[in-house]
Amino acid sequence: MFPSRFDYSAPDSLDEALATLGQRADETKVLAGGQSLIPLLKLRFAAPATLVDINRIPGLDVLEESNGHLRIGTLARHNQLAADSLVGRRYPTIASAAPQIADPLVRNLGTIGGSLAHGDPAGDWGSVMLALNAEVVVRGPTGERRIPIDDFLVDIFTTSLNEDEIVTEVLVPQPEGSFGGAYLKLERKVGDFATVGVAVHLELDGDTIARAGLGLTAVGSRNIKPTNAENALGGNKCSDELFAEAARLAAEAADPVSDVRGPATYKRAVVEAYVKRGLAEARDQARARAGRT
Amino acid sequence: MTPTKERTIAPPVRGGVGTSARRQDSVPKVKGEFAYSSDLWAEGMLWGATVRSPHPRAAIRSLDITDALTVSGVHAVLTHEDVPGRKLFGMEIVDQPVLAWDEIRYEGEPVALVAADHPENARRAADRLRVDYEELPPLVDPERAVEPDAPQLHASGNLIRHARIRCGDPAVTADVVIEGTYETAMQDQAFLGPESGLAVPAEDGGIDLYVATQWLHVDLEQLAASLGLPQDKVRITLAGVGGAFGAREDLSMQIHCCMLALYTGRPVKMMYSREESFFGHVHRHPARMHYEHGATREGELVYVKARIVLDGGAYASSSTAVCANATAFACGPYEVPNVQVDALAVYTNNPPCGAMRGFGAVQACFAYESQMDKLADALGMDPVELRMKNAMSTGSAMPTGQIVEGPAPVAELLRRVKEMSLPPAGHDAPLDLRSLPGGVSNTTHGEGIRRGVGYAIGFKNIAFSEGSDDFATARVRLFAAGGEPQVEVHSAAAEVGQGVGVVQIQVARTELGVERVTLLPADTTVGSAGSSSASRQTWMTGGAVKSACEAVRARLLERAAGELGGSPSDFSMEGGKIVSQTNGIEVSIADLLGRDSIEETREYRHRKTYPMDPETGQGDAHVAFAFAAHRAIVDVDTELGLVRVVELATAQDVGKAINPLSVEGQIEGGSAQGLGLALMEEIQVSNGRIRNPSFTDYLIPTVLDMPPMKIDVLELGDPEAPYGVKGVGEAPTISSTPAVIAALRDATGRALERAPVRPEDVVGLTEREVR
Repeated sequence: MFPSRFDYSAPDSLDEALATLGQRADETKVLAGGQSLIPLLKLRFAAPATLVDINRIPGLDVLEESNGHLRIGTLARHNQLAADSLVGRRYPTIASAAPQIADPLVRNLGTIGGSLAHGDPAGDWGSVMLALNAEVVVRGPTGERRIPIDDFLVDIFTTSLNEDEIVTEVLVPQPEGSFGGAYLKLERKVGDFATVGVAVHLELDGDTIARAGLGLTAVGSRNIKPTNAENALGGNKCSDELFAEAARLAAEAADPVSDVRGPATYKRAVVEAYVKRGLAEARDQARARAGRT
Repeated sequence: MTPTKERTIAPPVRGGVGTSARRQDSVPKVKGEFAYSSDLWAEGMLWGATVRSPHPRAAIRSLDITDALTVSGVHAVLTHEDVPGRKLFGMEIVDQPVLAWDEIRYEGEPVALVAADHPENARRAADRLRVDYEELPPLVDPERAVEPDAPQLHASGNLIRHARIRCGDPAVTADVVIEGTYETAMQDQAFLGPESGLAVPAEDGGIDLYVATQWLHVDLEQLAASLGLPQDKVRITLAGVGGAFGAREDLSMQIHCCMLALYTGRPVKMMYSREESFFGHVHRHPARMHYEHGATREGELVYVKARIVLDGGAYASSSTAVCANATAFACGPYEVPNVQVDALAVYTNNPPCGAMRGFGAVQACFAYESQMDKLADALGMDPVELRMKNAMSTGSAMPTGQIVEGPAPVAELLRRVKEMSLPPAGHDAPLDLRSLPGGVSNTTHGEGIRRGVGYAIGFKNIAFSEGSDDFATARVRLFAAGGEPQVEVHSAAAEVGQGVGVVQIQVARTELGVERVTLLPADTTVGSAGSSSASRQTWMTGGAVKSACEAVRARLLERAAGELGGSPSDFSMEGGKIVSQTNGIEVSIADLLGRDSIEETREYRHRKTYPMDPETGQGDAHVAFAFAAHRAIVDVDTELGLVRVVELATAQDVGKAINPLSVEGQIEGGSAQGLGLALMEEIQVSNGRIRNPSFTDYLIPTVLDMPPMKIDVLELGDPEAPYGVKGVGEAPTISSTPAVIAALRDATGRALERAPVRPEDVVGLTEREVR
């Protein structure tokens, strides 16, 4: 189908974009990569009066480390993150997830800010950012807010972003010590949404877990942070038994439903297997990094 | 008898029988320039849309078209009252309303039609049609449907056919007895080109329809009846077909499109969306099959008892023939002295089911091959050895009493796949995730992986069975242009992607020694070719073209004898020339013909077949059989239930490979479709409703799912067939499914009694209630 009629504006500054957005925020949508919004328009699940295209605004695709964070500009494309050497060296969970998102066409255009703002519980970035304890930077008429990702994601297709705000950046804390991470995704076929996804991040001090982060995709009404599992891991020494216990706790935190992608019990079992495998992979990476330094 | 001997022509014409001649449609398809039926366009045409029932079962209380007619750009809103002729259609049983009037029997059943100047206006008007439905509880369990107190969905009752085999002693006992209950799901043909066509009203009050279909003449008969037109006022031309696999045997939009064109006096185009297509054609019958096998301790089959229930859905389509096939092939290609089979095809309120590649033989093969593995296990025998021990061969009697007369290389095919080299175990470092279950999704780096090997063999009839008057027609014209002989071949055989077009060209080249052969568009100005189904077109239309060419050749030689003296038998055709064998005088075909042309039309019929006896199933129902064996190697992630098919190996007797590359393509495609049914393809129907009508949720194998194949093609030559051909298309679809699932059982030790096997089944977390 064709989208309903809409007005289109493509400002080249953030202030201008915020001003346009502020005029009729409830009937305006921000267009970034368009990989979720355009299908919604075509299916007429959404019919905003105005689209504000932020692709021409300079500086929104920043990707650099500063002040203890990796700054990811809202317009960073999935493929940019998949190919970036800094991300590849220092942020293995991001590097692992990016090439698994959808298909090459989506990865070329889709953005991290757009994906997070869409609030799809089957979205991959939400889990990655939960595992990494990221913050989302948003700008609105009254200035800037930094929202922890766990507060940013609220419910299915619902975030704490206000209608008159735009996501500008994602801030990922720099890893410390020896670290490792992975994103494991079950998809019925390449390019499909996740049946289940699990993001894992580990920071080790020797063989002791200094920090563990987990995020679960498509097993609840939003991406889930299984804090019980994270807490069980933190401060303990790596062991298969510990990982199995964390996997069990993560599976408990998952709240999947049965649908065309499979029954809930199966999805829960996948969470458990993935957390185990992901932790083992992250641990092996961290040990290899420790061995190199 | 010996295989038909090929006439030799010197020098042999290029691109004849036995060569991988380039297909007439290959270059435009590869370049994206091929015109499919959905690309049709006419000046001033309107767009048709179908209004469909949202309920699987309901009574229609009233229909109100007033609102729909007010939508701008709308030219027609038609209901059952506007069907000019017969209000029902159906290929075998005329039971399906062109447009429903009183009762809705499946979700998506057509209720009304709209024609508008723009597809969006047609869609809007369709939304504005007011239908008052009284919803009724759908009857969705086929076993329940045949209980005496079940609601009757048709006046004839819910039983479409009950086919039986009674062979040998029903009370015989055996040393070893094993039982099993198996299910196959509703598979979709998943052709890529959705139903579409263009109807153009003609000045004579008739209609010209351009449509993607499988059998032009059976469409024509049904169209004429429902349009209330004499058959000569209905003309059909085959439009570019984007796959068929059985789904285009029944009518979809043909009558609707013609009704709108005749009513409005304008050309009308209809084109289903992908979602609508799932409601717009029949699917493969889901089957529940209970089997009992008895054998001696040495592994000789003593008896087979089977009860097979096929869910025909709301309308009969080809259920009667599918049921006959499931019955006739219920025991597999084995010698079984005592057989009791009961196969039922029944009406329910599920989506209608009908023809799909493999046609009843697919379902049965999954059950009997699962049983053979189970029996081998019980006997402690090698599963291939057990099969070879019981293999049928030429001269064997089927449970229907029919003697297998042509080549039946069952043991040979099994031996060949068994002896093929195995792919290396394990995975080379660095790991290529694409070679592992779960693929690039990073699900495993080797954790939980186990390998399994499975074998299966299957068979099926070629061409129409049970006494149908099965024939194909071809017209061949030989003429000269620019001093060169040329041939035109005209038939109504539907090129659905399988390659029957180039087969006709190759046959004409070989028979007439002329390289320049043009295939005219398939239409109804020539006689019927029968359906592009039942693996029959190469044999049947190939046979008709061969026969017409022979008639043309005979006339040409008569003409040579008339002009040059002597008798026709003194002359032969060699390299575009007529050569006298008595005095060596040559004349070119072009000179001999001048401005004349020679045209001949021939019908080709295969040997007569006979119906199966309704009580005992006995009868020579089939003309010939195709056999194929598969070996599947799988890697299974036993924690996640994910599967990677590492390799498929197959051996198949094709009689004669007219076009070896096409044969390979058919074998690969058929094997892929069987792999799909083994691992992913299922129309998920819940309480009569399709839950996954899209290619997002209905999964078909892609290049990432298909493993490398080892293909061994035998050409044993069927003495009854032109050039010894056998059909190729269906056999690989039959044995690949059970082979893959046998390999999964080998890897996991699980029973896996239902196809497709889903990840949750592999890890033992099946949730029946969600289905």
